[in-house]
Amino acid sequence: MIIVMQKHAPDPSIEHVVAELSSRGFDVHRSTGADQTILGVVGRVDTLDPREFELFEGVQEVVRVSEPYKLTSRTFKRDKTIVKARGVEIGGDRVVVMAGPCTIESEHQLFETARRVARSGARVLRGGAYKPRTSPYAFQGMGIEGLKLLRAAGDEFSMATVSEVMEISQIEKMLEYVDILQVGARNMQNYNLLSALGQVRKPILLKRGMSATIQEWLLAAEYIMAGGNYDIILCERGIRTFETYTRNTFDISAIPVIDKLSHLPIVGDPSHATGRRDKVMPLARATVAAGGDGLLIEVHHDPEKAVCDGPQSLYPDQFARLMDELKIIVPAVGRSI
Amino acid sequence: MNTTDAEAELTRLREAIDRVDDVLVKLLNQRAKYAVEIGEIKGVLSLPIYAPEREKEVLRHVEAAGAGPLDSAAIRRLFERIIDESRRVERESASTGVSQ
Repeated sequence: MIIVMQKHAPDPSIEHVVAELSSRGFDVHRSTGADQTILGVVGRVDTLDPREFELFEGVQEVVRVSEPYKLTSRTFKRDKTIVKARGVEIGGDRVVVMAGPCTIESEHQLFETARRVARSGARVLRGGAYKPRTSPYAFQGMGIEGLKLLRAAGDEFSMATVSEVMEISQIEKMLEYVDILQVGARNMQNYNLLSALGQVRKPILLKRGMSATIQEWLLAAEYIMAGGNYDIILCERGIRTFETYTRNTFDISAIPVIDKLSHLPIVGDPSHATGRRDKVMPLARATVAAGGDGLLIEVHHDPEKAVCDGPQSLYPDQFARLMDELKIIVPAVGRSI
Repeated sequence: MNTTDAEAELTRLREAIDRVDDVLVKLLNQRAKYAVEIGEIKGVLSLPIYAPEREKEVLRHVEAAGAGPLDSAAIRRLFERIIDESRRVERESASTGVSQ
């Protein structure tokens, strides 16, 4: 276990941690740097709860070296990763809002929605061309024609594009039209797909599986990174709990937890998390307030007529209002939008 | 210096380092023996193994004794390792001492 002290932590804080570890029979390797001290803890560290030491005065971070994920870990890379997609930086100072319809239905629908969200400040256009639907009889998406429309709309309104990849065979075609490839919750543990995405050189938006732990989620990202693709954006979209009122339970705590464990940027998808339009805006605000690097939000120019997920899609006017609200929140967390 | 001379000089210097290392290990073990004894005493007196003030004093002492080319930060880094090991040795001997 490694305990990283805060920069310029005073001696008494450091000594307090060493004394505590020492009194419990652990050997401590103290390493004093120019402005930061690191303590290596040797012994049966599996009996120690890192969270306990994180609460000690002057402690910045406690890291278990035995973490199964490596490349995604903050230990591997201290500085936050900034993922770049067609000029948009995710993980930097500016909060990035990705918006658009759940499914690309028609040119009119996509362009109309894109026009409205771009005007409100969305910088990435989302739209599904291949849809993983619970029912095999539900609309399965426009496929390649939908991707062409997505590219055209992205170019028209100067937005980067994101769309879900369902299987390995779709990757090559999608690279032509899409700036960020999204891996859906249902595919988060499709390890063949993840490995194949490790070979591409485009950012991946990796959604959290609906019953995945944070560790499993980071290990999924590890699969992609192990292939050499380091541009990954994590996306919290809610997990299965016993609560039935909302479709999933949006795990806000995942945002600060990921920020501690990993250098990868994290965005929130409140639309899928709740499945209810009226719950999307509060959770979107909460995502940004909790330190999220961005949002993925479903907006439809005419949600009542949407073929897919209409009840969770915002009206363009609601989206505009949300963006105005976010502008008030971001300075409080030291960001801009 | 031609190549042959340089190679001979390299060998000579490496042998010199080996001799210094022999002395260093002896001295470090000598130091560790004192730590073992201190550990036993701390065990008898039920004193904590970790004594931050004393560690600071040791570091101040060795940093002041330096004459280069190792600067005081480098000396501190090296002695932090030595102190880490002393603490371990003391802890072991303290617990043995108590059980006796």
